[in-house]
Amino acid sequence: MSMDANGFIQTHDLTKTYSTGSVEVVALREVSLSVGQGCFVGVTGTSGSGKSTLMNLLGGLDTPTSGSISVEGRLISELSNAELALFRRNTVGMIFQSFNLVPSYSALENVTLPLLFAGVAKSRRRRQAAELLESVGLGARSSHRPSELSGGEQQRVAIARALVNRPRILLADEPTGNLDSKTSRQIVQLLADLRAAQGLTIVMISHEEAMLREFADEIVYLQDGAVRSLETLRPTP
Amino acid sequence: MRTPDYIEQAWANLWKKKLRTFLTTCGVVIGIGALVTMFAFGQGVQRNIKKQFEELELFNYITASVSTRRHPGQAEFDPDGVPMDHRPADANERAEPLDAQALREIMRIPGVEAAFPEMKFPAQVQLGDDEQFTLVQVLSADAANSGLIALRAGEPYATDEPNEVIISDMMLRRLDLREPESAIGKQLDIRTLVLDLSLGNLMRIAFLRGGQSLPISNRTYSFTIVGVAERMGMSGPLPIRSDVMIPPGPAEGMKKLELTSIWDFFQPSDKPGTYSTVSVKVASPSDIPAVEQKLHERGLRTFALIDQMDQMQTAFIIMDVFLLAVGMIGITVASLGIVNTMVMSILERYREIGIMKAVGATNGDVQRIFFYESGMIGLLGGVFGLLLARVVSFVINQVINGVASGQGVPFIHYFDFSWWLCLAAILFSILVSLLAGVYPTLRAARVDPVVALRHD
Ligand SMILES: Nc1ncnc2c1ncn2[C@@H]1O[C@H](COP(=O)(O)OP(=O)(O)OP(=O)(O)O)[C@@H](O)[C@H]1O
Ligand SMILES: [Mg+2]
Repeated sequence: MSMDANGFIQTHDLTKTYSTGSVEVVALREVSLSVGQGCFVGVTGTSGSGKSTLMNLLGGLDTPTSGSISVEGRLISELSNAELALFRRNTVGMIFQSFNLVPSYSALENVTLPLLFAGVAKSRRRRQAAELLESVGLGARSSHRPSELSGGEQQRVAIARALVNRPRILLADEPTGNLDSKTSRQIVQLLADLRAAQGLTIVMISHEEAMLREFADEIVYLQDGAVRSLETLRPTP
Repeated sequence: MRTPDYIEQAWANLWKKKLRTFLTTCGVVIGIGALVTMFAFGQGVQRNIKKQFEELELFNYITASVSTRRHPGQAEFDPDGVPMDHRPADANERAEPLDAQALREIMRIPGVEAAFPEMKFPAQVQLGDDEQFTLVQVLSADAANSGLIALRAGEPYATDEPNEVIISDMMLRRLDLREPESAIGKQLDIRTLVLDLSLGNLMRIAFLRGGQSLPISNRTYSFTIVGVAERMGMSGPLPIRSDVMIPPGPAEGMKKLELTSIWDFFQPSDKPGTYSTVSVKVASPSDIPAVEQKLHERGLRTFALIDQMDQMQTAFIIMDVFLLAVGMIGITVASLGIVNTMVMSILERYREIGIMKAVGATNGDVQRIFFYESGMIGLLGGVFGLLLARVVSFVINQVINGVASGQGVPFIHYFDFSWWLCLAAILFSILVSLLAGVYPTLRAARVDPVVALRHD
């Protein structure tokens, strides 16, 4: 991650404050970052340092209190609600620590969900979702409910869902937080492979610094909502 | 999102909560069922009333009368409170006497089937030992032959002159005769009542106590029964309402208390051979305006029952509104049920809404998903509510008719389900459900995805 002004993803003085009653919590404090296209960026920091807040802002789920975000030169922080929905639908895919699958849907149905909102016809939805499940190694489990899958398998379903609309950015909020170390490695390896194959830009939050060092190109250290330091491990591809 | 997808999603979500969907829909079914049943009953009542009016041909009559001279500015005397419409302003100048010639001319107006003076007199009729009191109607041979009265036996008198009489089915029974044919050719005596105001008579009343106390005497005339009419008397075509009809010829020679019409008590027509009021029967109610126009041109004023239809319509509308208002109670309760179910459903699927938004659903997408759900509850409730209404009304109809048939009442359909009522019921059910969904779906649309995704 660099501070140059022409990154693929660019934030400038990004600030988010939450006010609960009379107390004001500054979750993110003037964060300015730049992520190059195709980069794998790791974000780490103590609990409550603002990692998830940063990710929700980058993913267009939330809007900043002040400062700006731009993706491919487009000011995301200025978009309307409807435009943000389209941004989430077409440009970014997100995965979470708790997987966030719909429990009553089968694996396949979970993967088709983004295509539903994109207005893709049913038969094509199912075909595309099946392909994606195949590519994350779950072709045989497509009719299973999340409760019938292991944590690692559930996260693979979530990855397939995040990628089914062919986004250029994948945001992962502690995707391995609920998995054992072996499964965690497999999941992050899968993300790294996908990046290599599709030229994805990945921002991944993790507490496991060792794993970030192994896979990420750059690591951002957050503390109290501000960037404490940046570390570049390998040159951006 | 595509429309079939919304429908599929809505149906799948409702199916997942079968019991709740069933119970909520039941509320709508009962609400719509009650509403439709009540409305169909109102419609049935109105249809039956109109049908009865049409069967009795009540709408096919015009009462035409001579405008009487009165002083300018004097309020019209109106004994029955019946409005006399369409009074031509200059009628007094142009009024021609209503006599036999005028009647023949009126009968030549296109659309007119019959015209006859409304002329009745009270009399006793006697056949053998049986004696009955009735009002005798004087009816011209023209009118009697016009198809105005349907005969069960015999023929109407051919001219206005012979001492011949047509009696009704009802009179037949009152005179203890069974077969209409058996009455033909029999002799019927008509005994008239005469107001005897001669000095001698008055003196007798004044000074001789006991005996006769009214200045009334009798005259008897003999007639031959030539025809038996069906459905006469009070249920016959207005305004004959008479069980005994005789031609004008013999009537003129009879001494009698003459009532040409109720108005004549107050506005006696002084010239002999003229009438103050005639009844005009038209072929169809649609002829009435044109015929009324022609009668006005003759300087007559007219009254037609069909002109009172507006008042009847108003009464019907009040009835509909009342039934709808009562029916709306059920619908209101049912729609609260829908609100409750939708709010519950949205709370349960709070996190799912967050997920949908995270993968690209717009606020509108989320709102419509839930709108389709409540709309589908409305559709199901409407369709099954309609079925319920039909079943319930069928049962009620059978029960009432079962009871009534024991009293000789013919089978009547008390409910009227027109196709537009069925369609409107379903559309209304959907509309109410969508309205009930407005608040819950707005709540769903406004869910903050960040909060929802953190929610357990
Ligand atoms: N909706 C909210 N209302 C109030 N405060 C909030 C809200 N969301 C987050 N915060 C606060 O903002 C700060 C940053 O939270 P955030 O979730 O970004 O931390 P995090 O780095 O992701 O922590 P963790 O590693 O535990 O996930 C925390 O102090 C948190 O309490
Ligand atoms: Mg977090």
